[in-house]
Amino acid sequence: MAVHLAIGQAYAFSTFNLPLTKLIGLKASAPGDWDLKQMGWVFSIAIAILGISAAVFGRWVEAAGPRKSMFTAALCFGGGFIVAAIGIHLHQLWILYLGYGVLGGCGLGIGYISPVSTLIKWFPDRPGMATGMAIMGFGGGALIAAPLSVILMAHFKTASSNGVLETFVTMGVIYFMFMMIGVYAIRVPAADWKPAGWTAPAQPRQLVTTANVAVDMAWRTPQFWLLWVVLCMNVTAGIGVLSQASPMIQEIFDGRVSAAAAAGFVGLISLFNMLGRFLWASASDLIGRRNTYMVFFLLGILLYSTVPTLGHLGSIPLFVAAFCVILSMYGGGFATIPAYLRDMFGTYQVGAIHGRLLTAWSAAGVLGPVLVNYIRQYQIDSGVPKEQAYSVTMYIMCGLLLIGFLCNFAMRAVDEKYFHRGSSQA
Amino acid sequence: MKGKLIVLWGAVSLPLLWGVMKTLQNAMKLFE
Repeated sequence: MAVHLAIGQAYAFSTFNLPLTKLIGLKASAPGDWDLKQMGWVFSIAIAILGISAAVFGRWVEAAGPRKSMFTAALCFGGGFIVAAIGIHLHQLWILYLGYGVLGGCGLGIGYISPVSTLIKWFPDRPGMATGMAIMGFGGGALIAAPLSVILMAHFKTASSNGVLETFVTMGVIYFMFMMIGVYAIRVPAADWKPAGWTAPAQPRQLVTTANVAVDMAWRTPQFWLLWVVLCMNVTAGIGVLSQASPMIQEIFDGRVSAAAAAGFVGLISLFNMLGRFLWASASDLIGRRNTYMVFFLLGILLYSTVPTLGHLGSIPLFVAAFCVILSMYGGGFATIPAYLRDMFGTYQVGAIHGRLLTAWSAAGVLGPVLVNYIRQYQIDSGVPKEQAYSVTMYIMCGLLLIGFLCNFAMRAVDEKYFHRGSSQA
Repeated sequence: MKGKLIVLWGAVSLPLLWGVMKTLQNAMKLFE
């Protein structure tokens, strides 16, 4: 959880966007300052590298164990801040991209998957709750990082600096040390470990395997790709809203929601994104992973199709409540997927399989915001009033969720021909 | 062992609680 709380900072990177465009001009952007478009790429590169590094280094993470991989993640993430700070000092954009985007992105990817298989082995009775709690940290990281960044920048601000450089160095050191708590505390259980008083059910539940599938075999199964689409559709629907939450609520309730109140809305849905990770993943231990995703997709379709009506009715509390539930299911989707993978492919190399599945996140990270932004712009260009420009987007999100529902509905147990026959100790 | 666990839980949950409090303070502006 310490690792995920640290790397969850990525969701709050936007707090640096404006200050980074005023490094020369300080109060306003001056000639030679970076622009917002260039700053938007820092987060995009980091998220893309997250998915790629989780896929590429997944097998190494399984082989090296959680302590080594978490230490590597701490070095990359903390070091990424320091290299990015050098880029800020020299005012070289490529060094900023290399530092936070590439090096920091590797820290995000390796750190994200590092604790997963260890937690699943510690809690064979409650794998959803265990991974949900860790992944909840990723959602909660932004809640800490956003106010912390603002406080640090205000603290380091001088007549000749807006404090971003010093804040990057400080955060690099703080996050490295914070992640070292996880490195220090993590332990791998003995091969025959099980919780006191717990015995594995003699009759495994439907869609819960007792066999194992290796990572190289897993991604040749239809189940892997069905789960890829399930995650991609669930994330696309949520991430598009997250990226546009502030302007969306201000435009739908034109004149009734201020910029400060919209920032409060973003914070509130981020909070539900975090809580959903723990609550839905824990619920999946009781009702099953497939059923949990069925709820995500069906309830998601119901809520997304209701949102335009709530906007027309002018009901801010109902609108906010609908998006709180939607974002809780977005977080829940992330947190439930490791346990779903464990159910389908066993505990052997589940971390590496999870790493490869996270490429769905990278794809959704591009697809979601692009869909919301472009469709909104197309609607406005076609003469639709701004407050109604999101209605079509919401119905398209329903369509995406329907695709996810059908893939989840088609899920069956993995064929025996894919099972791993050797030792299952990774 | 128990003491170590309490310290570790405190180290991760106190910053998180601080972040949640700050977020809720901001969220209140939505209903003002």
